[in-house]
Amino acid sequence: MDFTSSSSSSLTFTDFLDRMRHPASVDLVRSIKSFIVSFSFHSANSENDSKRLQDFLLAMETTIKDHPLWAGASWEEIDNAIEGLEKYVMTKLFSRTFACSPEDAKSDQEISEKIFLLQHFVRPEHLDIPAVYQNESAWLIAEKELQKINAFKAPREKLLCILNCCRVINNLLLNVSISTNHVPAGADDFLPVLIYITIKANPPQLHSNLKFIQLFRQQSKVISEAAYYLTNLISVESFINGLDANSLSMDANEFQEKMQAARLAKAAQVAPRNISTPRDPQPVYCDKEIHMGGRHYPFMEAEAGKLTVEDVHKLLSVYKDVVNKYSVLCQAVRGLSLNKEKLPVALRGDLCDCILEHPRADCNPAEQDVVEVEGTKEKEKETVSAGLL
Amino acid sequence: MGCSSSLPDRNNGRLGVLSSENSGVADSKNLRVKLVLLGDSGVGKSCIVLRFVRGQFDPTSKVTVGASFLSQTIALQDSTTIKFEIWDTAGQERYAALAPLYYRGAAVAVVVYDITSPDSFNKAQYWVKELQKHGSPDIVMALVGNKADLQNNREVPVQDAVEYAEKNGMFFIETSAKTADNINELFEEIAKRLPRVSSS
Repeated sequence: MDFTSSSSSSLTFTDFLDRMRHPASVDLVRSIKSFIVSFSFHSANSENDSKRLQDFLLAMETTIKDHPLWAGASWEEIDNAIEGLEKYVMTKLFSRTFACSPEDAKSDQEISEKIFLLQHFVRPEHLDIPAVYQNESAWLIAEKELQKINAFKAPREKLLCILNCCRVINNLLLNVSISTNHVPAGADDFLPVLIYITIKANPPQLHSNLKFIQLFRQQSKVISEAAYYLTNLISVESFINGLDANSLSMDANEFQEKMQAARLAKAAQVAPRNISTPRDPQPVYCDKEIHMGGRHYPFMEAEAGKLTVEDVHKLLSVYKDVVNKYSVLCQAVRGLSLNKEKLPVALRGDLCDCILEHPRADCNPAEQDVVEVEGTKEKEKETVSAGLL
Repeated sequence: MGCSSSLPDRNNGRLGVLSSENSGVADSKNLRVKLVLLGDSGVGKSCIVLRFVRGQFDPTSKVTVGASFLSQTIALQDSTTIKFEIWDTAGQERYAALAPLYYRGAAVAVVVYDITSPDSFNKAQYWVKELQKHGSPDIVMALVGNKADLQNNREVPVQDAVEYAEKNGMFFIETSAKTADNINELFEEIAKRLPRVSSS
């Protein structure tokens, strides 16, 4: 399988560049150069660009096979040359071909924002992921693999990030089925874990990355296992885009409330920037978002002696709900200015005092994840030789 | 759920993958076939495949053991080889809308139900209709009643499935991933039904 050779990729790329510097490859270099330059004659269009790249790679494969520099070369050497070529050309054309349309940017932002909201409350149980698969350390590795996707410009390497993520999940599932004598895991188990990992990871520019790989990875390499796992992540994207109350094992009202609370928390995180200027003292979300009622609190009138064991389940769920809302509220209020007069009437008084006294750290655990995700964004590791052409 | 004896061998597979696999070249003697598995969760889709892959095991075969993607090459009597690339799909209701992403371009669809579960048989019929509407027109479809070892709990009569399969031009077989009954027969029959580039 293609992704077993990831560690040797830099070696083979260097090898490709060395061959291109060879005097005998001057004709190849000319073709590559004119191919890259030819893009500047057309306006960017991903479908056309994709077709031109795919045709070019196919044509170059024939040229390279017949080229004196590759005379007697093995299948692997030819393959390495095409891989090197793909990487070189796509790195050069990256800014033109990656996330190039406003629609792509919009799709990226929409899914990223949706995942951000889901991160606040989606738990493995909501996707019916069995407890035996809940392995934090393996999941973290899988998340990190997925988050690396923007560290690379070449389609092959972006695809590798996805395959590595899937492989970590596969190994986990396989090991669990062996060690517990559990029924061997298939897609019934794999897909929910991949969805959950994707939500946790919120990989940068998910839509554009998937599109870029589909369009610009050599078609002859998007087959078999690589195609299967790429399809899985594409279907995860589709699932998350369409995710609503029916997509999770969760009460529909609860889903709506959690989404609302997450939106409020998000607004609160954005708020300090918005309201730092004195001219903008009225954050717009204030009135419409803070009343998030709609849920009963059935034990308000209850007496302790009359509660039964059966009530515990419900009581606990109501308790969690209240605590969640309280934490979100804390943060929202802190995000608003801390001027009591400007808070809605309902928030003044005891609640407000209580919030003001609270240390900052207890607020929203999801915040840390987000900072980490953004930290890994746009880490550029490409080492494409600038001096070649 | 029963395929307790068909756990994959931990050391099986990946390291022995040959590089020619990457070429993706399929000629008339060496076919590469995308096979998609559809069916309710819990009917034993992955068990059938693991049984197939394991049962055929020999040291020279190129076997990839994953959790949900497996491939297995079989040799036919006319010295043709067929590499089945088996795409499992998640059977839970909430993922039903994603299935077209998986069966797009598939040459074979194996629709599995559990003979002890009428619900799963209904679900299988749903998948058949979906494939007829949205699958490629020349897709080879097989209807598979799994868990045939549980005869005492049977709730889907053989006759119902036979009639349904006939009406829809499908191949039908009952299998047991647990006892390995009819597993090889299933894949051999599929191989026979694949359209070939005639090599005369």
